[in-house]
Amino acid sequence: MAAAVPGLRVVIAEDAALFREGLARLIESRGHQVACSVADGAALVTAVSRHQPDVVVADVRMPPTHTDEGLRAALELRRAYPGLGVLVLSQYIETRYAARLLEQDAAGIGYLLKDRVADVADFAEALERVAAGGTALDPEVVRQLVRSSQQHAGLTELTPRERDVLALMAEGRSNAGIGAALVISASVVEKHVASIFAKLRLPPSEADNRRVLAVLRYLQP
Amino acid sequence: MTPEAHNDLVGLTGSASPVAAGERAARHQGGGLVRGAGAAARAPFTARALRELLFCAVEVPLGLSFLVVPVALTGLPLLVTLLVSGAHPAPRQAHPAGAGHPAGLAAFLGAAVLTAAVALVVLAPRIARRLTAAHRRLAGRLLGERIAGPAPIRGGRGPVSWLGATLRDGPGWRAAGYLVVQVPLAVLGCYAVVIWWAAGLANMTYPLWWAGFRNHPPSVQLSPVPVLTPFGVLHVATIAGTFAAFAAGGLMVAVAPWLTRAVVRADLWLMRGLIGPGRLERRVADLERARALAVDDAATMLRRLERDLHDGAQIRLATLAMNLGMAMDRLAAEDDQPALAEVRDLVGAAHQSAKDAMTELRDLARGIHPPVLDNGLPDALATLAAASPVPVRLTTSIAHRPSQAIETIAYFCAAELLANAVKHSAASSITLTVTGQAELLRLRVTDDGRGGADPAAGSGLAGLAQRARTVDGRLEVTSPPGGPTQVTVELPLHA
Repeated sequence: MAAAVPGLRVVIAEDAALFREGLARLIESRGHQVACSVADGAALVTAVSRHQPDVVVADVRMPPTHTDEGLRAALELRRAYPGLGVLVLSQYIETRYAARLLEQDAAGIGYLLKDRVADVADFAEALERVAAGGTALDPEVVRQLVRSSQQHAGLTELTPRERDVLALMAEGRSNAGIGAALVISASVVEKHVASIFAKLRLPPSEADNRRVLAVLRYLQP
Repeated sequence: MTPEAHNDLVGLTGSASPVAAGERAARHQGGGLVRGAGAAARAPFTARALRELLFCAVEVPLGLSFLVVPVALTGLPLLVTLLVSGAHPAPRQAHPAGAGHPAGLAAFLGAAVLTAAVALVVLAPRIARRLTAAHRRLAGRLLGERIAGPAPIRGGRGPVSWLGATLRDGPGWRAAGYLVVQVPLAVLGCYAVVIWWAAGLANMTYPLWWAGFRNHPPSVQLSPVPVLTPFGVLHVATIAGTFAAFAAGGLMVAVAPWLTRAVVRADLWLMRGLIGPGRLERRVADLERARALAVDDAATMLRRLERDLHDGAQIRLATLAMNLGMAMDRLAAEDDQPALAEVRDLVGAAHQSAKDAMTELRDLARGIHPPVLDNGLPDALATLAAASPVPVRLTTSIAHRPSQAIETIAYFCAAELLANAVKHSAASSITLTVTGQAELLRLRVTDDGRGGADPAAGSGLAGLAQRARTVDGRLEVTSPPGGPTQVTVELPLHA
């Protein structure tokens, strides 16, 4: 399986050594280059300024406070390097963290559970998508965001199938990806998407990313 | 009491612990008299004696000042009445039967004084609270005796409920009682300060200024100089007499600190009894503290558990899943031959992660509640003792089985204390004794190591003490440098 965006330069920040090494090995196995691996937020910021990577993979909880230094470093990096892709990994999904990450812009942002690394191909695809300025949100994030904006009038009008499509769309998948996940044809997906946009009163758009942005802005609590 | 002051009082203060008292008694058998005399000679010049003198000197006016309140409250209307009747003589003629009439004036005066007296009685609790706060602050500032104030008066929004709350204010009435009882003590304090300290010091100066009288011609008969002593006034007319005055003064100054101390002691005793929190209040405060500790302890345990899971088993399982994912990825590739070694490597790493995760989960589960504890404390402690790298001699005699919570606390105390002994003391043998009496479970860990364990320094012992306190238990450490270390944990049988 060849990488879609070969030769990405990646910086990893993760405090658990075993997991960090595993991640590096995984990323390198997909034909990318791990420029540097660090174990805390401050070191991540330094490493990015030195190595100028395409994308960063950061754990949320790292020393010294073991709270959200990874997230804070990620937000700082996003401000300093607008083109940098940031993929945040965590053992829990916190809606609040997702909201903070997506506050300004969903382009080049990823927020995944650590569990997702078990599906190597999916994970690598998410990493490449984020590096290319796309979005990769954990299904869990989407589920929680959808749940917290359930009261919105537009969402109640959606059919269960349209909700599925919306959730996959919010994860950052293309129409083809959604079709593959739901085992339906691309034209059916397009029909669903158009219907969702109509019900949510959003003007349709060609670009995947703008579409996700629009959906997310709508979903945000 | 500062440690330095404590040393000054060897042999005179009551000792808190029987062990310390025993040691002190043993030390006193040799040279006790000499030491006692030395201490007595130094007594007036210690910092503590001076602080007590100062305390006494301030307590005298402070204690007597409250007498000003009734005088002011009754005297003020009196004064006002007199002024009013004196300033307006004209209405006296206009209204012969009114306030100007001597009988009417007396009636008005009586009413005013009565009103003031009633106001005084009604307000006594609130006034006493204010005044005793000054006494408490003085004791805290000068003697380091922190006496907690009573809880604030409850209720009192409207005037009626305000009055009701004031009249029902038990601590306020006790404070008023203190002010009354303290008056004779203040008088006694005044006596100690003026007669013993001031006169004693003055007497000691007689030989110094006597020389001033020597300029008179020998024919002049000097009138004798009075010398104030507690036993009457001496009259001194000769230089030899001034030395007698000096000696009397010296003796008085030597005795003064002890008299002052007695007065201060009695005052502090009164304060603790009357203006400190009552027994019930103290109990409530203790229970509130214990509850706060218990809640903290539980929250800390949960946080640690989450951290252990997050940094341990969870990350190992994530790594395991990642390695298996990579192995699957490799196996799915077309050219399977060269990938085989890598797949073997990945599966091996996953296998190791799985085993590590199992170990961590097992340790974690046992850390939450050791299953063997269900069979009772003796079995659980036997397992614990057997696992110790330093040999442990275990003795248990528990007549009545404690409640589960107590057993758990006792177990974790034992585990932590054994681990401490192994880690820090370099002991070659440890004794663990557990005795359960009618109401008390006593757990004692003794090691023959190097000693020097400090409950204040290490958070481990402090944490155990905190845990014991959550159930009204206590922890005592004796660990002189060079050993042996003995830690005793006492817990009630039922939390």
